[in-house]
Amino acid sequence: MFPSPDSPKLLPIIMPQLGESIAEATIVRVTFAVGDRVEADKDLLEVETNKAVMGVTSPCGGILRELSATIGESYAVGATLGYLEVSEEDAERLGLNDAPPASVEKPKKKKAPGISGAAEAESIKPSKKAVEPTVSGLPVPAHAGGASFLSPRMKARMAELGLHAADLAGVAGSGAGGRVTIDDLERFLQDLERNTISPASSMRVAVADAMRRSWTRPLATVVLPVQLDILLAHRKLQAVKAGPALYALRALAITLAEMPTVAGRLIGDRVIHPRSIDIGFAVEAEDGVLVPVIRHADQSPLVDLIERYNRLVELARARRLPGSDTGGSIATITNYGVFGLTMATPIPLPEQSILLGMGAGRITPFWDQDKKTFVPVTEAQFTLSFDHRVLDGGAAGRLLQRVSNLLGAPEEL
Amino acid sequence: MPAAKSPKTKRSQIKSSQGNSADTAARELLRRAYRTMLEARLLEEKLAALYRSGKIVGGVFLGRGQEALSVALGVHLRRGDIYAPLIRDQAGRLAFGDTILDTLRTYLGSSLGSMRGRDGNIHRGRPSEGYHAMISHLGAMVSTVCGGLVAKRFRGEKSAVGATCIGEGGTSTGSFHEGMNMAAVENLPLVVVVANNQYSYSTPNDRQFACSDLLSKATGYGVVGHRATGNDLLDCLGVIGEAVAAARRGEGPQLVVADLLRLVGHGEHDDASYIPEAMKKSPLGRDCLELARQSLIEREWLSKEEAVSWHEAVEKEVEETSSKVLREPPPDPAEEDWNAFASPSLGRNL
Amino acid sequence: MSSITYLEAIRLAQQRALKEDPRVFIYGQDVGVFGGAFKATKNLSKEFPGRVLDAPISEDAMVGLAIGAAVEGMRPIVEMQFADFSTCGFNQIVNQAATLHYRTGIPCPIVVRLPSGGTPGSGPFHSQSMEAIYAHYPGLVVMTPATVEDAYTMLLEAVALEDPVIFCEHKFLYYHLKAESLPATVGEALPFGKARIARPGRDATIVAYSAMVHEALAAAEELIQDGYDIEVVDLRTVRPIDTDTILASVARTGRLLVVGEAWPWGGVAAEVISRVATEGFGLLDAPPQRLNAKETPVPYHPALWGTHRPTASSVANSLRQLLEL
Repeated sequence: MFPSPDSPKLLPIIMPQLGESIAEATIVRVTFAVGDRVEADKDLLEVETNKAVMGVTSPCGGILRELSATIGESYAVGATLGYLEVSEEDAERLGLNDAPPASVEKPKKKKAPGISGAAEAESIKPSKKAVEPTVSGLPVPAHAGGASFLSPRMKARMAELGLHAADLAGVAGSGAGGRVTIDDLERFLQDLERNTISPASSMRVAVADAMRRSWTRPLATVVLPVQLDILLAHRKLQAVKAGPALYALRALAITLAEMPTVAGRLIGDRVIHPRSIDIGFAVEAEDGVLVPVIRHADQSPLVDLIERYNRLVELARARRLPGSDTGGSIATITNYGVFGLTMATPIPLPEQSILLGMGAGRITPFWDQDKKTFVPVTEAQFTLSFDHRVLDGGAAGRLLQRVSNLLGAPEEL
Repeated sequence: MPAAKSPKTKRSQIKSSQGNSADTAARELLRRAYRTMLEARLLEEKLAALYRSGKIVGGVFLGRGQEALSVALGVHLRRGDIYAPLIRDQAGRLAFGDTILDTLRTYLGSSLGSMRGRDGNIHRGRPSEGYHAMISHLGAMVSTVCGGLVAKRFRGEKSAVGATCIGEGGTSTGSFHEGMNMAAVENLPLVVVVANNQYSYSTPNDRQFACSDLLSKATGYGVVGHRATGNDLLDCLGVIGEAVAAARRGEGPQLVVADLLRLVGHGEHDDASYIPEAMKKSPLGRDCLELARQSLIEREWLSKEEAVSWHEAVEKEVEETSSKVLREPPPDPAEEDWNAFASPSLGRNL
Repeated sequence: MSSITYLEAIRLAQQRALKEDPRVFIYGQDVGVFGGAFKATKNLSKEFPGRVLDAPISEDAMVGLAIGAAVEGMRPIVEMQFADFSTCGFNQIVNQAATLHYRTGIPCPIVVRLPSGGTPGSGPFHSQSMEAIYAHYPGLVVMTPATVEDAYTMLLEAVALEDPVIFCEHKFLYYHLKAESLPATVGEALPFGKARIARPGRDATIVAYSAMVHEALAAAEELIQDGYDIEVVDLRTVRPIDTDTILASVARTGRLLVVGEAWPWGGVAAEVISRVATEGFGLLDAPPQRLNAKETPVPYHPALWGTHRPTASSVANSLRQLLEL
């Protein structure tokens, strides 16, 4: 490859670029023979292009050692036509001793012709990790490379199928930054077909939508044990009995009338206050939950609410709840204790900030400080699940405490 | 397309005002030329009025003072010739076959005009009839006319002539230069009339060109040059008639340079206050229409009564046509196809 | 039969046009006996005497003459010696040829041939790609053939078209691209205005035209070893653009890279991406990308020129980035 210091310096004779867009030329005449001594800038041979006959000149003086060009044959621009033996100084001057240039004509490809005839000084090693900017100074938007990025194509397909990002929670993404690609989605959906599939009721879909929307907020839950003995005693004495949930509803109503902003909503940097103390209560109804509403619950005493409440429960169970008796409440009560649950972290309705939950009452030992002994009490855990943007644990705790106090004085409800 | 057949022009029957030819053809030519000038003048006065009353939008550029020169070219052209007039050529246009009706329609933007509202005022023509619709870039029409003449030569049409007019300012453009040179190289039967009206908008000649005589450009291009007195109808008819005839005889391009004065602003928005009073009062500033009428009356080729009745008749025609066109519908954007392509396959979705 | 170069296809198309349509004539500098700077009209002035005419160096008047002749019923082909010089005739092209039909109802069936694009050492004034400038004007058809067959059939279509056509032929392809045969009839070929799927694929779409189609194809070959199957769309004409074919391709792949030899600002790539973003937004899996020449005049030195415009390897790099998004 590289001539050793002792071997002769052989300079290749290259077919020059003889005009715009010329790719090759045909040898028409050879002026010298192998072994001849030639001078610099003299024509070694003549070639013909589409436009004219021109000479190929010697770059320097030397001895013609090899001539591979044949008369009548065509050779591409850049092809080696022969070799000239040159002196050391000329070899040095013409760069013969240097490493071969990085720029070499690209070898012709089979299908696509070697178009890039020019030297390519660029050799960028593409980084598989970093996404490089394609316009100077402007990086590709960061979110486009992240896990949560949903491309327009993905969104269009998901819209077609009625899917939300929540539906993709279980899908491992193979795209940039771990995002779910269209292929991931299609594979996932195809895979689902292998399971037994039954249609979801419209109630189910509606609840799913509401819960998904609610969950976009930061929710938290606090718990307070509440003693129910006084309440239960009071209830025993009534001719027409209210359920424990109604007692709690009434207590919550009075509490919210005292501290309404905990049931407000935070929109941007504004707190929207509730207009009236309308409180809903959860009723299980075939594959879902309905929430009838007692309007202005702060304005009627407990005894006046019983009939209204019972009627609403019936309507809800029968799925005949009128539109005017649902929606628009500012808080909701849920009595998960009827299922035997002692604790839960239910999710407030998407348009509400608080949800008061009641666990099952249990007889449990309570340390009586005066009697210095454990006494049995009926205790239930009351939970307040809340949108932590609107209120903090302290306010939540105070609310529960107030409700608990009110339940300890049921004649005031 | 011409309203009346133009009489065959024999070799320059029109002498200067000192001449005494009583040839009927000459009389008819002169009367026709004068009548056309009168139409141009009165029509343009109407256009100015319509502009000032807000009925014409865009620009109005009048040829007042240049009617003689313009009509002298127009009357020597005939069907089969190619004509690319410029902005002050109302008289020439009417002589070539344009009508008061289509002029008003184009200025008023009627959808019934040749340009259908898509272009207006002097940017009008009917190219299929050899009447080119100029573009605003001065000089561009010279080579365009050359192209038409090349086509005719390909088809063996030997006696057609191409003609265009330009101001002295337009001769400064590269496209004028290229077009003249090309016409000369191709030896085309092209007649170019340069109306040297001393001012290009507000630019006086000494800021426009440095040669002492525009006519020396003819030598520069290798074409035949002719000089005419721009506001003298008889002289214009004679000189231009000879130039057109020479072109028709195959003697190559003919450059006519005529001195005159624009008797109006560059446009109706301009008052030409930059033209010195002295120039306006000099012989150069005399009104060619008045001079032409006087010449005709002196020769008894037109009576004073005829002059008056012609004036009234033309005024009436202009007024009636204007009223009619003002009632015509403008183009409706909802009806337009908004398509710039001629090929049926190239619709709007490009 | 020896293979036919892209240039020879252009020459043969002109020969056929001259032969079959007596209204056709060719006008340009050095096109006569000399046969043209690139020999695109070699021997044609001899074969068709008086119809292949040498013009003075007057691009404005050349186009003006063509327009005037077209109005009179001829079908002129104007050869600009280099696309870069067409700016001297720009006014006639965009203000008269492009507007004539709209303004007067009379069509202007001229063809202006622009030897376009770069070759090593050509420099700033012998290398330009002007298609976007002309495509901007309504009324002009702009063709950018990438293959020998298209150079032939589309030039014939251009001559037959009623509208003015800017025919951007690529100088580098003149002698570098060869084909074994030409279509016998224009009807055999894809009509002008339809884009061609030069290479079907699945993972990304490259839209390209003229010489860049070949760079795109080479880049697609390179990406095979990365495990990607790249689709290449050859626009063939830049005005009209075949938006339907482009959208169908992006619907298949979800990823778009547009490659053009000209500068980025307001270019063909920008136009294609604008259309896909507007009409095919929901098809995109990643932001669409474009690759164009660097924002300087075309440099002279081959080493600079080699990186000034997109090449197979820079296209491949852009593709890899696009595929990782």
